[in-house]
Amino acid sequence: MTSTDQDLVRHLSEVSVSVELETEDMTLNIGPQHPSTHGVLRLLAKVDGERCFDVRPVIGYMHRGYEKLAEVRTYAQITALINRIDWVSGYANEVPFMVAAEKLMELEVPERAQYIRLILSEMARISSHLVFMASYPLELGAATPLFFALRERERVLDLLESVTGGRFHPNFNRIGGVKPAAGAGSTQRKTVQDLPAGFFAETREAMDRVDGAVDQLEDLVAGNEIVLARTRGIGVLPPEVAAAYGVSGPNLRASGVRFDLRKVEHYLPYDRFDFTVPVGANGDCWDRWWVRLAEIRQSASIIRQAIDGIPSGPLQAKVPKVIKVPAGETYVRAENPKGEMGYHVVSDGGQGPYRLKIRSASFSNISILPWILEGALVPDIIAVMGSLDFVLGDVDR
Amino acid sequence: MSPSDTEQAEAGPTDPLADFAADVAAVVGGSGTASFGTVKVTVTADTWVDSISTARDRFGLVFFSWLSAVDWSNEVAVGDPLGEETAERYEVLCTLGDLSEGRRVTFSTDIDKDDAHIATLSSVFPGADWHEREAHDMFGIVFDGHPGLEPLYLPDGFAGHPLRKDYPLLSREVKPWPGKVDVEAMPEKDEDADPGAPSTENPGA
Repeated sequence: MTSTDQDLVRHLSEVSVSVELETEDMTLNIGPQHPSTHGVLRLLAKVDGERCFDVRPVIGYMHRGYEKLAEVRTYAQITALINRIDWVSGYANEVPFMVAAEKLMELEVPERAQYIRLILSEMARISSHLVFMASYPLELGAATPLFFALRERERVLDLLESVTGGRFHPNFNRIGGVKPAAGAGSTQRKTVQDLPAGFFAETREAMDRVDGAVDQLEDLVAGNEIVLARTRGIGVLPPEVAAAYGVSGPNLRASGVRFDLRKVEHYLPYDRFDFTVPVGANGDCWDRWWVRLAEIRQSASIIRQAIDGIPSGPLQAKVPKVIKVPAGETYVRAENPKGEMGYHVVSDGGQGPYRLKIRSASFSNISILPWILEGALVPDIIAVMGSLDFVLGDVDR
Repeated sequence: MSPSDTEQAEAGPTDPLADFAADVAAVVGGSGTASFGTVKVTVTADTWVDSISTARDRFGLVFFSWLSAVDWSNEVAVGDPLGEETAERYEVLCTLGDLSEGRRVTFSTDIDKDDAHIATLSSVFPGADWHEREAHDMFGIVFDGHPGLEPLYLPDGFAGHPLRKDYPLLSREVKPWPGKVDVEAMPEKDEDADPGAPSTENPGA
């Protein structure tokens, strides 16, 4: 190296030190209308260069006031409201509310009805997770997995529709059981028709296809360098922070907490089936993707076992024509696709609840955003938000 | 309904839930009940934060589930009034859970309606932040020491607290609820019929 070269190097190093850029803090507004927000969520991110240092979610654009509306409706009418909370898994929203009302009425739900609820709840989980499998890679820039995921989701929704009559808003549960299947005629005429013909065979086939799609998705996404680079080590959520914020469901399990309400709360007969609870190791975006993928396989296995073991019998417990729920209060929670979904029902003995508190999973799950996005790069906002898999209807209620 | 009514607990002395309720109540200095599968521990408002943080540490209740309130009121603007007289108050509720056995406790405390203040839990559980903002929106309860008690759901300039029982539901003021029909008795034939139950006498009718 000549002396002029050395001078140049010295000069350059001095330049790089002295030209430290004065960056001004900037407020970046994302949403409320933005494809990555799954509804209407607004983020106010204060950024310093490419790093966020203060992220403030603004919610409430979709607040429909279900808790107030529930106070002027009867228990049976509330079913039609609550399956609109998390519309990606509408069926699963209905179950814990029904169980809460049945608990207060001390009703024993017939086993066949419980199995049907369980099968449909798991179908709701599969369809919700498949939406995540479709949308998350899309948000990261990979469009292909969408087609693989949504094709199988459509098959599952068709099955849900064949039983309940609705793809998104089944309104299928009744206090004390489930409604006779769609197309079975008026309940007033005592017609009883069970699950539609061929349901079990079609479900088995659909589950095999779902398993196939999961394998394809794993090949497509897990082997993708770009997806790995954008999700590994990004948005790490330690388990104790997740718990203190009330983050639940797959997001909590991705942080390594082996806790699943299906194993500990007996709202449906899950204890009769053999399934594992997948957990992640690092709590990053990648683990949150992987846990959901693994849960689809478990759900498909639960559905197969439930179909094999479904007992025969009535669909509905004997209930009075005008349903009055005795005074009392209870909190019933369930493992929904998004996490812990629960209803705290306060009854004073009337036909509708005196107070209904709806604990929805996405609300607590996105309350972590300010914590988890602090110090994140701006492009990682989308990767982190998408990995939490929330639905704004479930946030705002 | 008064809190003591919930003690109609079907819980016998050997019920593990009732034992758990008694254990938690003994540690935090409140009263515990277990009914309909829900453990409820009632504490006084001035020990609210201490009780909850003690219970978290002693019983491993590290998962913050939710916080909300109930407006116990004898007058309601909309909906059915309570069957019997109650003491006017807000009941603040907070549910915590563990992450192993699935045990959970709903803590409860009563606060005065005219002076609806209670200490914030957000220093114990950061997740309480949004739940307390929601309760502030909906009930007007002030959480002392909260880092930013701004409206969460309600738009700027919104007057009133919608989940208070004296807050009217405007759609009902304009038009009575047509769904009321659903709960009136059906025409006399089939008085004792049970619409949802299966019948073997005439299947396929």
